[in-house]
Amino acid sequence: MRSIVIAPRNVFCISVEAENISPDRFAPLKIEEIKKLIVWQGNRQKILSDLFTVDGEDSPSKAEDMAIRLSGDFSNVKRIGEGMTSGAIEVQGSAGMHAGNHMSGGILSIAGNADDWLAREMLGGRVVVMGDAGNYVGAGYRGEKCGMRGGEIEVRGNAGAYLGEHLCGGSIRVGGNAGDFPGAANQGGTIFIGGSTYLPGAEMSKGTINVRGETKVLPSFQKMEIAQIDGTDYQKYLGDLLENGKGELFVGVAVP
Amino acid sequence: MIIRGGIVYDPSNGIFGEEMDLFIDRGKMVEEARGEEIDASGLLVMPGGVDAHAHIAGKKVNTGRIMRPDDSRLGTEPRNGVCRPSTGYTVPNCYAMGYRYARMGYTTAFEAATPILEARHTHEELQEIPIIDKGALTLFGNNWQVMECVRDKDLSKLAAYVAWGLRSARGYGVKIVNPGGGESWGFGTNVKSVNDPVPNFDVTPAEIIRGLAQANELLHLPHSIHLHFNNLGKPGNYTTAIETLDLLKDIKPSRMRQVVHVAHMQFSAYGGTGWRDFESKAPVIADYFNSHNHATMDMGQLLFGSATTMTADAPLEYGNARLTHNKWSNHDIELEESSGVVPMIYSRKMLVNAVQWAVGLELALLVDDPWKVLMTTDHPNGSPFVNYPEVVTLLMSKPKRDAEMASMHEQLQKRTGLGEIQRELDWADIAIMTRAAPARILGLPDKGHLGPGADADITIYNLKPEELDTSQDHSLVKKAISTAMYTIKGGVVVSKDGKILCTPPGRAFWVDAAVPQADTDRLMPDLQEKFAKYYSIQLSNYAVQDAYLPHANVIRAGLSIEPLQEVA
Repeated sequence: MRSIVIAPRNVFCISVEAENISPDRFAPLKIEEIKKLIVWQGNRQKILSDLFTVDGEDSPSKAEDMAIRLSGDFSNVKRIGEGMTSGAIEVQGSAGMHAGNHMSGGILSIAGNADDWLAREMLGGRVVVMGDAGNYVGAGYRGEKCGMRGGEIEVRGNAGAYLGEHLCGGSIRVGGNAGDFPGAANQGGTIFIGGSTYLPGAEMSKGTINVRGETKVLPSFQKMEIAQIDGTDYQKYLGDLLENGKGELFVGVAVP
Repeated sequence: MIIRGGIVYDPSNGIFGEEMDLFIDRGKMVEEARGEEIDASGLLVMPGGVDAHAHIAGKKVNTGRIMRPDDSRLGTEPRNGVCRPSTGYTVPNCYAMGYRYARMGYTTAFEAATPILEARHTHEELQEIPIIDKGALTLFGNNWQVMECVRDKDLSKLAAYVAWGLRSARGYGVKIVNPGGGESWGFGTNVKSVNDPVPNFDVTPAEIIRGLAQANELLHLPHSIHLHFNNLGKPGNYTTAIETLDLLKDIKPSRMRQVVHVAHMQFSAYGGTGWRDFESKAPVIADYFNSHNHATMDMGQLLFGSATTMTADAPLEYGNARLTHNKWSNHDIELEESSGVVPMIYSRKMLVNAVQWAVGLELALLVDDPWKVLMTTDHPNGSPFVNYPEVVTLLMSKPKRDAEMASMHEQLQKRTGLGEIQRELDWADIAIMTRAAPARILGLPDKGHLGPGADADITIYNLKPEELDTSQDHSLVKKAISTAMYTIKGGVVVSKDGKILCTPPGRAFWVDAAVPQADTDRLMPDLQEKFAKYYSIQLSNYAVQDAYLPHANVIRAGLSIEPLQEVA
């Protein structure tokens, strides 16, 4: 396993776009070459070592043998792990917007919080966030018909609005609450929300949404039987009937 | 400037692959000149490309951009010292259009459909498209004033309105889209044949088409009517195409050109009674074009991948939206048109799409005279214009067509005859279909050729036509024609090996047709009433001001030499 540690040199007031922080980009390069990878801060083009310190093993390796540790505050650094196919990134603090977008393999773990658009249009692999995630987790970006298509996202804390919008596959698990409209236009993915949420599954045509806590269900869902999942009772709904949908929505039955 | 030793294809002047030197002085082709020399020894040299039918500017293009932020993420290029930023693939931003045409060796492109009411927007965008020369065709086919004149059989008033409309829109020619259908769409219906009456107007599409064709010839306009047929895109619509073309057989052209140019013929050459037995009727259409001389067409070739359909044929777009469950924009343009936009993905695994792909190629290969068929993709309806090199190589290489067909639905061979066509086009055919013919069909005497007096718009491709086997080495051909070695526009090198060197503003062509003042005087009370009663804007705010065309090139036409009086 080749380990590389990256730390910010200072606090970024202007956000940084760092899609080059990815096992695939680092793997064939030596440390000196990694330092020269391009990042943008605002409208200024810079190199990685202008903004970050880079330490670790020098000899190139395969992407699957790469472990990148991001030490410090990365909450204003966007697009970490964009399109990664294998290997691991461990963010020890929080990560900025678009972390893990388009990733198709490997593991992205974030010890703090993740900002909006976490793992949007993800294809495969695994993302774990120990804290909270922002809006549009696993969603499709503006105008896109398909969001996440495969892989797994786990958010241990809460997630923002539009969780898994335009989901086409894969699964998202949120331990806490989710914001408004989770699983909007779901076309075949799976969402589990441990806490409460508001109006899940609008315009969904396929897939499954499971809400353990309280929620308001749209009137365009058809009430079905009570189902038992993992020993818990859930009220099952079918919808969204506006889209002639065959999606399944399970809402936890509150124990009096 | 002198271009030395190129293998020149200039079909308008009867030059087909001759090694010769070209001379440029002050933006024009001349017999003899001095100055900078470009060595083009053995390389393919043609006039700059002319695109006679593309949707490159105006409200529906912009609606496409607004609807498709996903598209604008594709093809982004940052600005540099010369170029502004580029975005988009099927609906690029204005700057990208200019750069991409220039890189491909094109120097002229015409926006194919603009309602008069929205012409100001079109010209605002055209002005922002750098490098290329351009113009915009004006929509007349569903216009209330047109239909009233046709109903009253008042040809001189119709001609006065067409002249007034072109002047108001700063338009180049008469475009007709699904005549009568756009107006019917206001009432939730469509016309189903050329003899189906338009609600509330007591006219038929046939009468509208004939009326506008006669007015077009009365005004001696440089371009003929430019027609998008009724029933476009529907199975079995080839009969409508033939029926419509037959309507125009007896009309005498006022200039040395066709009487009707058919837009994106591919979408109107279908057989079958529905999508299940959908098949190509390209051979029937091609036979018609081979046996008649009053019509020309552009292919409207469809290619697989992403496209954005946009047209003034609003009922068609409603059908597309229902079929694909995709995003849909529907738009009513007051007394003039209706329109729609729907994003589309064409798939080679879908039999219907594969048949459509084959129909376009069949048309171009089965019509014997390349002067009658223009190479287009109806950008961005069939495919974005950046894919023209793909179409060219398909036309030039039978092995490439065979390889492509092998990857498609097995039923395709039964639904089209493309597999049996042996013809492979040569550089002379391509030079005609992309340069000489579009210029002649549009009526642009200084475009599409390299004779003395022509605009010095020249493309030099990095391939040696005498050494390259276009049939076998199609991938080399595609690479070479995707990025011109030199694109020269108005005597200035604007692009070299894909790098844009400078971005001069292109000119905008429009046609000012004169009509007798008496006819205009008869027309104006009708218009004043319409603006007072129905239009959302005032008559005085309607016409596009010259400020929107800082590089205008006015072409005079009309009944008399007197210029049209300024409208009060």
